Amino acid sequence: MTDLKRDHCEWISALGDGELRDDELANVFDALARDPTLTTAWHTYQVIGDVLRSPDLAHSSDGLAFLGKLDARLAHEFAASCIDQSALSAQGPVVDKNEASRGVQIAANESVFRWKVLAGVACTALLTVVGSSIWTPPSTLADGHVASIAADSQALKQGAVVVESSAGTMLRDPRLDELMAAHRQLGGHSALQVPAGFLRNATHEGSAR
Amino acid sequence: MTRMRVGSLWLVFAAFVLCAWQSSVWAQGTSEPSLNAWLMRVHQASRQSIYTGTFVVSAGGSMASARIWHVCDGTQQLERVETLSGTPRAIFRRNDQVVTFFPQTRVAIAEVRESLGLFPNFLKSNASTIGDFYRLKELGMERIAGFEADVFQLIPNDQLRYGYRIWSERKSGLIVQLQTVGTDGKVLEHAAFSELQLDAQVDVGRLRRMGSTDGYQVQRPHLQKTTADSQGWILSREMDGFKPMVCYQRQGEGTGNGAAASQNGTMQWMFSDGVATVSLFVEAFDRKRHVREGAVDMGGATHTVTRRVQDWWVTAVGEVPLLTLNAFAQALERKK
Repeated sequence: MTDLKRDHCEWISALGDGELRDDELANVFDALARDPTLTTAWHTYQVIGDVLRSPDLAHSSDGLAFLGKLDARLAHEFAASCIDQSALSAQGPVVDKNEASRGVQIAANESVFRWKVLAGVACTALLTVVGSSIWTPPSTLADGHVASIAADSQALKQGAVVVESSAGTMLRDPRLDELMAAHRQLGGHSALQVPAGFLRNATHEGSAR
Repeated sequence: MTRMRVGSLWLVFAAFVLCAWQSSVWAQGTSEPSLNAWLMRVHQASRQSIYTGTFVVSAGGSMASARIWHVCDGTQQLERVETLSGTPRAIFRRNDQVVTFFPQTRVAIAEVRESLGLFPNFLKSNASTIGDFYRLKELGMERIAGFEADVFQLIPNDQLRYGYRIWSERKSGLIVQLQTVGTDGKVLEHAAFSELQLDAQVDVGRLRRMGSTDGYQVQRPHLQKTTADSQGWILSREMDGFKPMVCYQRQGEGTGNGAAASQNGTMQWMFSDGVATVSLFVEAFDRKRHVREGAVDMGGATHTVTRRVQDWWVTAVGEVPLLTLNAFAQALERKK
C-alpha cells in the first residue's frame, strides 16, 4: 500500500468518525469516486464499527452489490416513468402504474380455496339481503289504473321541485297559501269532516285569508 | 215414516247451514265492522255531543292549537273555535254557516260551507263508495284525553289515498284523535283533543252572542257555483273513487300577490272519495308569478302540484299522495 493510499485510508477512517474538515471532505469524496478500493475500505470500516458496537451487526451483506442493484433499479424505473409520462400525454388518463402493478399481485392466501368459497357465500348473502330490502312487491301498484297513473305522472314528477320545510308558511308562495286555505275552507267533503276535519281545518287554516 | 225421517234430516242440515252462516257473519262483524255504519255513528256522535276542549294539530313539523266549544240541541249545531297559535282568529259555526273573525283587523268573513251538511245523507244513500276504496279494521282500545277510546284504522285499497287511524270515544263515538298515515306507514298529520270535557256545561246564550258580527266589517267571498264543463274544462280520465263534488268560480278574492291573478276569477273544482278531498284551481297564467311547475311537499298530509296548461295555471291541492295530485293535474284538459 502506497503512502497516498495509506493517507486515504486514514481519511476514510476519519470520515467514519466525523473528524474531517470541509476541504478534506471534498478531497475524500473525489478519491472515493475515483478509487473503488477506497469504497471497499469505507465498507470495511463500517463493518468493523458495527462489530465493535454489537456482535449481532456482524452479519454483513455485500453492500456494494446491493448498491449496484439499487442503481440499476433506479435507472430502470426512471426510464419507465419517462415512458409513462409520454403515454399519459398521448392517451389521456391512465391508471396509476403502481396501482396496476398492485392489481396483478397475488394474494398471500390465493392458494387457499376455502377463502374463495367463504367470499362467494358472503357476497351471495349480501346480495340477497340488499336485494330483498330494495325490492318491493308490486302489490296494488300492479293494478292497471294506478300503474298507468304512476307512468303518466312521471313527466311532471321529473320537473317537480320538492321543497320540504318544517317552517310552515314562511317559505311558501302567498298565492299558494291562499289556495290551500280555500281548499281547506270548501274542500271538506269528507265523512270525517265533523268534527275532526272541521276542527283540523279551523285550527290549521293559517293566516292566508 | 221414511219420508218423515228424510225431512228431519233435511231440517237438521238446513239448521246447521244457517248456524254456520250466522256465525260467519258475526265473526266478520267483529273483525271488520261495517264501514258506513261506523262512519254514521261517529258522525251522529258529533251532532249529539256537548263538549269543550283544546284541539291540537301537528303537521309537517309545525303545530297549531285551538280552544273548542260545541253545543247542539238535535237540530242546531253551534261551535266556536278560538285559535291559540298564529294569527288570532275565532271561527263561529252554526250548522253550515261559518263566520271567521279577525279581531286585529275587525274583519269577519261569512260563508256557507255546504260540505258540512252533506255527509249524513251521502252515507245513507247508495252513492257512498267509501267501502270500495277503504276497509275498516279495529285495533283495540286506548286512553285519550282521559277517555277510553276504540281505535280503528281506515286502510286504503290502493296507493292513490292515505290511510287514517281514528280514536273514537267509547260511549259517544266522538272522534277524539285522528292520524293521517302515509303510504309508507309514516304518520303525516296528527289531530287530537289534548283536553276534553264531554257533556260540559256551556252557556248557549253566551255562545250565540260570540257569533255576533257587531263592530266587524263583514266580507262575503264572491263564490259563484258553476260547472267545469261550462268553464271549458274536462278531466281526461277518472280517478278511481274520486267523484266531482262541486265547482265554484271565485271572483275578486285574494290579497297581495294573489290579487292580480284573481281579477279574472279562479275556478275551484273539488273531488272527493268520501274521505280525502282534492281541489283543482285554474287561473290565468301570469309569466311573472307562475315560474315553477311541480310539486311542493310541506311535510304534512296536504300537498300541491302546479302545472301550466296553455294560457292557464293549474294548482292541484289535496290531502292525498303526490302521485294522485300529479295524475289530477295531468288529466285536466281544455275542451276542444
